[in-house]
Amino acid sequence: MSHIKYLLLVSRQGKVRLMKWYQPLTEKAKTKIINDLTPLILGRKPKMCNILDYSDHKVIYRRYASLYFIIGITPNVDNELLCLDLVHRYVETMDVYFGNVCELDIIFNFAKAYDILNEMVMCDGSLAESSKKEVLYAVQTMDGMDDNDKLEKVLS
Amino acid sequence: MDTRKAFKAAVVSSNGTVIKGLQIFIADLRASPHSADHEKRIKSEIVKIKQQFEASNSTHGGDKLHQDRLGGYQRKKYVAKLAYIYLTSNTTKLADILFGLDQTLILLKSNVYSEKFIGYMLLELLMEHKSVAAEIGERLVPYVTKDVSSSNDNFTALALNFLGVVGGMCTKFAFNEDLVDEVFQIVRSPTSSQYLKKKSVLAFLVLLKANLSILTDNIKRKQIWIQRIVSLLDDTDNYRLTLASLPLVEYIARNIGPSYCVRLLPQLTDILYDCIVLGTSTGKSNHFPTEYKFANMPNPWLITKTVSLLNAIMVSPKEEYESQNSQLLQSANIDPENLGKLRMCVAKAVELGTRRINDPMEKIVQNTVLFSLINFAPKLDPSEVAITNSVDALCELLRSNEINIRYLTLDSLIKLCSSCGKIALDAVRYKNMNLIFHLLNSERDSSIARKVIDLLYILSDKDNVKTVVDQLLSYIVNAKYIPDPQIRSNISVKIAILTEKYATDSTWYVQISLKILSMNFSTSFNDDEVWHRLCQIVVNNPSLRKITCVQLVEYLQGKQLSEFIVKTAAFLLGEYVELIRDIITATDMFNLFSEKYFMVGNLTRAMILTTMMKLHNSAPEVGSKVIKFYQLELNSLDIELQTRSFEYLKVIQLSKISGNNNLIELLFQPMPPFNTKSNPLLNRLGSLPLDTTTNSSPLKEGTVAPPPYTSTASLPLVNVPKPPISRHSGSMMSFPSTTGNSNTLLRGLDSSYADQQLSPNWREGFSRMLQHKQGIFYNSSLMKIVYRIIHVEPHHLKIVLTCINNTEWEINGLSTSVISARTHDNPEYVVQNIEFPSNPTIQPHKRQGQQMEVIIRRSMDVQESPILNINFRCGGSVNNLSLKLGIGMTSTIFHGDSDAHPQQQVTLPQFITRWKALGNTLGKDSECVVESMPMRGLRAPDTDPDSTDILVGQISQILKRMGFDIVEQDTVKNPVFAAGIVHTKSEGNFGSLLKVQCRVDGKINVTCKTTVPGPLSSYIVECIKTTVAG
Repeated sequence: MSHIKYLLLVSRQGKVRLMKWYQPLTEKAKTKIINDLTPLILGRKPKMCNILDYSDHKVIYRRYASLYFIIGITPNVDNELLCLDLVHRYVETMDVYFGNVCELDIIFNFAKAYDILNEMVMCDGSLAESSKKEVLYAVQTMDGMDDNDKLEKVLS
Repeated sequence: MDTRKAFKAAVVSSNGTVIKGLQIFIADLRASPHSADHEKRIKSEIVKIKQQFEASNSTHGGDKLHQDRLGGYQRKKYVAKLAYIYLTSNTTKLADILFGLDQTLILLKSNVYSEKFIGYMLLELLMEHKSVAAEIGERLVPYVTKDVSSSNDNFTALALNFLGVVGGMCTKFAFNEDLVDEVFQIVRSPTSSQYLKKKSVLAFLVLLKANLSILTDNIKRKQIWIQRIVSLLDDTDNYRLTLASLPLVEYIARNIGPSYCVRLLPQLTDILYDCIVLGTSTGKSNHFPTEYKFANMPNPWLITKTVSLLNAIMVSPKEEYESQNSQLLQSANIDPENLGKLRMCVAKAVELGTRRINDPMEKIVQNTVLFSLINFAPKLDPSEVAITNSVDALCELLRSNEINIRYLTLDSLIKLCSSCGKIALDAVRYKNMNLIFHLLNSERDSSIARKVIDLLYILSDKDNVKTVVDQLLSYIVNAKYIPDPQIRSNISVKIAILTEKYATDSTWYVQISLKILSMNFSTSFNDDEVWHRLCQIVVNNPSLRKITCVQLVEYLQGKQLSEFIVKTAAFLLGEYVELIRDIITATDMFNLFSEKYFMVGNLTRAMILTTMMKLHNSAPEVGSKVIKFYQLELNSLDIELQTRSFEYLKVIQLSKISGNNNLIELLFQPMPPFNTKSNPLLNRLGSLPLDTTTNSSPLKEGTVAPPPYTSTASLPLVNVPKPPISRHSGSMMSFPSTTGNSNTLLRGLDSSYADQQLSPNWREGFSRMLQHKQGIFYNSSLMKIVYRIIHVEPHHLKIVLTCINNTEWEINGLSTSVISARTHDNPEYVVQNIEFPSNPTIQPHKRQGQQMEVIIRRSMDVQESPILNINFRCGGSVNNLSLKLGIGMTSTIFHGDSDAHPQQQVTLPQFITRWKALGNTLGKDSECVVESMPMRGLRAPDTDPDSTDILVGQISQILKRMGFDIVEQDTVKNPVFAAGIVHTKSEGNFGSLLKVQCRVDGKINVTCKTTVPGPLSSYIVECIKTTVAG
């Protein structure tokens, strides 16, 4: 069973670009996690291990260009490497959708970034769909819906 | 590349979907470099949005026609802006944007997709806050329910996604019957699309996690719903749905009862086999869909989730003894074919893991698969060779350049060593210790260093403990770079435990312990437990006292000063100063302590004051110095030191006045032995899996630890994982609500057995099975099941079942499970060596065989005979059969081949003698009488005067078939007398005598006597009743 506690996207400057909490935490706990992890992870050297023990759980992170993808998981439940796979698949999918994705895409289209994530991961980090094609198909269907809405509006 | 361009084009063309105002707002914010400007821009935007929303609200009431003056697009835009403000401010602006909730709810009502989407999106973000969830949770339920049941699949998808992501944040969702029902409808319905189905499965999981009683409250629903859910996995080729369903099924297996999922073993094995063995083969047989590959490997998620579910329904042979829950599968109960397949998967994964690959991502995926299977391997009762191979493969990976791999390899080695025990440990120790020591000294990363230390800890035994401890010590002393100060403390604790646990040489133990204490670490090392423990052991072991004291004096005289050493010395030297009189004089000792006194903290000072008092008592020559010292300390700034000095002075004064030492002697009696049972340091091992394999501590009683301490040998470990409490409680709670079940609860039946709702017409096969050794067990328009009972031994029955497809269509997804009434607490019978159908598909009019063995250990009630559960799909419908096997005490009456064993016919006089003898010795205890037992299939008995004769004939026939010997005699026609011997494995064999009186009304009176008191006779009568009543 998967137990992803949270997923954060932090820029190299330490700004949080996207966050998703799969577990109810108090505001204080969330702030603490962000404040603790950001400097800790930004300070790690590239050759270092992508897995950290942090308070009572494990943290997996991976850097893609200027963004750090950070995932908190329950130890002994989830496979650490699998989280790296998950991050990679997420990045791949966004890459195809936005066409060479960069931080700006995620800032300006934050709703889409969340949407793609939701298509892939639901319920405490259980993977809903692993196929890139399916995820993109779903997201684009929604874009298509948007267009239709617009068209109807113009016509009416 | 082409696809990418196409997508880019799509993005561009759908540019229209982008909300322009939002984009400008974001660009604006990014353009203002100063945070003050930033803040100002956000504030003004919030004010503007507020005005807009208020304006739309104010027109709400009056003008119904122009109710929505704001317009969907504008509303969407503003809500999206609020979402951005929320995100860009790192959620600190949460309170400022909450005014938009009402308008967001209006967006949910919209029929325009993009508006609904934005509404759900903001709510998903905000629901993460408990306060928000509490505020609008209730109001949201009707909106979400409506969307879930909507005919527009896209709306349903949005709502399901919403539930799947944040449905657990608010209990309102999970406790709403309608909503839960709607979601389950989508899970269940064969017509709902794949896309919705997989979303609904996960949404349902979220709801279930929030409210387990969805499934456990109502027994009927529990069984039907769980069957539906479990059958989602029957289609082993539908990876899309499987992937989403696995977590839900696993949750049910872990939290409601594994028995529902045990039947999935063949399916899960197939998935795994298809992925790992077939999916990675290079031959033509590799049909694994590319879409479900990742980095050229079969889907790692599918594999890990499948393994995870397998982990949930299986126990390893080792755990089996500890586990209370024997509904789980053990490798001994898995049929050879599936077990072989699973083992092959592990072997293949190990083989793949050692393959050389250049693509880094592919390597990661490969190792993902490897690690999840290696961690699963102990459950398969692996052979020694298999364990050694796994260990070798892992140790090879320790040399990997990839740092994450090294980390996980260490992690896996730790798990493997603690679950496979000696074989794995020896395999690592045999040739890899140097490699691990090398890692210890070369790794720069604290995550890894920690794992290396954990591994070394597990690998230690009495033979290598000195080497390991030396290495660890030299690491903390010499390592140029220690990544994390905490590691030192971590190592110290581990060394302290290891030395105590494995020390065979007490001097060495003392040396090492003092060495750890003498290391002057930074303040983060504040572990009093280590020196506490040393003191306890020295106090309890007189043989250690002198060496320890001698060494302590040496440390005190040395230059380096560690406060822990001073504390230990203050305690032990004060206590045992007499023992080292020949080495150091009391005056020198006093000087040593008074010198250290000013170099240590107040807590230690207080201890030294007490030590001085003890010196004063044993060596009067230091008396005046001690008194002077106390007088000096009367001026101490610390209140504790001041008080202590004052009190000790007073005590000395009093003893001088009274002229005797009575008070002092009373106050400073020698230290009594400690009786702390377990080593407190064990609490500090943290997450390290505790190995129960090495619990034979070589520590000789008396050398280091006297009796109170030998408890270390049994290691009453603190964090032995306990089975989740909820596993049973969920189903137990549901009992009171159903009538009749409290009865089964009292009899201690497994809940999974008691919950079974038997299929209609089960009785026919049940009673037939008691009477005939082979025949038709069940028949319906879809499937016919025939059975054959073979006696391996009288109490050991082999049951061969054959399912025949009665239809013109294929039957697929066939899977069976056998549920025993009791699986623990000395069960009456055990079912084993179950061989499931080898193939889940039966072609029209073809058959599939399966078999199982039942061993009857004690006398049992036929009503608690095992239940066979069969699931299959035929022509789109999901079918479940729940049938009780007819196995009772009479099934064990067996006299083999009548030719081989000439039957010992019982004659009437013999029968009567025995009958009387039983009556005399056992009385009513061994007797069971049932009067007017109805018989089935007898027409109008009383019209025919010969009816009893016919009845007698029938009864004799039935009893013969059941195995009884009919007493052949002509003297009395009615009643019928019969005898038989029943067999059990543990309790032995018992004789039984029957008297069956046929009545004119077509009913019978049965009396049974057995050679043992207790319920056996009633069990036999029950068998007869079941047989004759049908």
